[in-house]
Amino acid sequence: MNDHHEHDPGHEHDRGDEQDAGRRMPRRDPRAPRGRVLDAHLHLLDRQVLDREGVPVTTVDDLELDGIELGVRIQPGSPPPTLAAILTGPQLLMRLFGGHAPAARRIAIPWKLVSEVGTTVRLGVDADSLDASWVERWVSRHLIGRIPGGRHDPE
Amino acid sequence: MKNIFAVALGVLTAIGGFVDIGDLVTNAVVGSRFGLGLAWVVLVGVVGICVYAQMSGRVAAVSGRATFEIIRERLGPRAGLANLAASFLINLLTVTAEIGGVALALQLATSVDPGWWIPVAAFGVWVVIWRARFELLENVTGLLGLTLIVFAVALFMLSPDWGELAGQALQPGPPADEPVATYWFYAVALFGAAMTPYEVFFFSSGAIEEKWTEKDLAKSRLNVLVGFPLGGLLSIAIAGCAAVVLLPAAIDVTSLSQVVLPVAEAGGKIALAFVIVGILAATFGAALETTLSSGYTLAQYFGWSWGKFRKPAKAARFHLSMIVCLLIAVGILATGVDPILVTEYSVVFSAVALPLTYLPILIIANDREYMGDRVNGRGMNFVGQVYLVIILAAALAAIPLLIITGAGA
Repeated sequence: MNDHHEHDPGHEHDRGDEQDAGRRMPRRDPRAPRGRVLDAHLHLLDRQVLDREGVPVTTVDDLELDGIELGVRIQPGSPPPTLAAILTGPQLLMRLFGGHAPAARRIAIPWKLVSEVGTTVRLGVDADSLDASWVERWVSRHLIGRIPGGRHDPE
Repeated sequence: MKNIFAVALGVLTAIGGFVDIGDLVTNAVVGSRFGLGLAWVVLVGVVGICVYAQMSGRVAAVSGRATFEIIRERLGPRAGLANLAASFLINLLTVTAEIGGVALALQLATSVDPGWWIPVAAFGVWVVIWRARFELLENVTGLLGLTLIVFAVALFMLSPDWGELAGQALQPGPPADEPVATYWFYAVALFGAAMTPYEVFFFSSGAIEEKWTEKDLAKSRLNVLVGFPLGGLLSIAIAGCAAVVLLPAAIDVTSLSQVVLPVAEAGGKIALAFVIVGILAATFGAALETTLSSGYTLAQYFGWSWGKFRKPAKAARFHLSMIVCLLIAVGILATGVDPILVTEYSVVFSAVALPLTYLPILIIANDREYMGDRVNGRGMNFVGQVYLVIILAAALAAIPLLIITGAGA
């Protein structure tokens, strides 16, 4: 797992610190005003991603950061990196076993589609418009949708 | 009538934990060998599952997040995957056993060889999961499963020596002719069955299927406080019947027909009819619970769309994974393996799954981001932590005991 890849360098926490992190966070109340500090590891990674209608799309398997080069030391005073995308699909295997997926194989949900971050990450678009849900669509169209009753509400 | 159905989720969840096919037999085995000497384990298990099912139900109602989403979120992908693998194997083995159990119950009713009933049972489970609304499924199986109360009735009709039964229950410990390890193996098996992880997966996911909100917390508590103690009561009643009839006759319980023997002796054909309906409903209900749990855990770990409130085509991978599970279960049964034996080995996987399931629930139940001001109170946290220690001890002891005793032989 590429820890520095997932972290804002200003907020280094690792998994073991998580329970403490709760106490160190300024405020974690859901009713707290906007502009709170998010710990990428605690508040984003492995959370459920829902589409505009609340339909589950995927889990946040990894995050893509812009403005930071892997393996290159960060110079003091350089601008902070920005979140570019939520990564899913084969990226989960990279988190589990290490390594990097070639950029062409990554399934990304651009961060600009995110409308809200809470206990889930909400998107402002429908799941069906995303590359990230192609497997679900394929299984639905070619297997489940073809079995009698598959397109009807349960009775 | 509406009130009975309000607790159907709790009743069905508990049936899957306490009186599914493996437990029906295990309870009778325990009764025929130790009398009520292990009843205390059932009580400990009932309290434990009440505490954690209530926590998982509360988290689901308040935050809308089911248990395996929380497990992945707090444990991360690796430990989450370890839990998924172990829990999934428990589910799969239990689905296999329950489908075999439905076939055995149908054999009791019809004398037709269970081999013929296995595909019928698996197809029946699939059709219900495919087409029936969640409420219908839980109401029918939950209510019919209640006919197992005939075990408690039978215990009274056998007019046992209550003093002797109370003596067995109040002076726990292995009888002179049984090895200590065997006694503790069955203690761990009963505790593991009471707290088996698919109960909280099913209960919390069921809460979301029923669209519980913060307003339904009282309903959640009622479900827990009716369902699990009832399951525990049935479990003890089965052991009690076996203790009264089978223990003095030194009958070794190896099959379902021996489990129902005391009921038939006490109440004749009518009681036998009730018990067969009860076993059929309980095994079928447990098959539904564990099949759905396999789908819930996979979908929640990977973040797929899930739920019976959606059209199957709108939760495609969820439904596909359950179809695959049922096919594997039929495949395992086709080898001719004894379905009852299958559940005994799921104890091994509990060792991994139990602690990795209950710890994240306890953590999230204390997290204000999820729970607002509905976080655990001090009492709940204290009991929860005590149970984590017990769970860890049981989990660590499970595999060595399984090996030493040769699965309780």
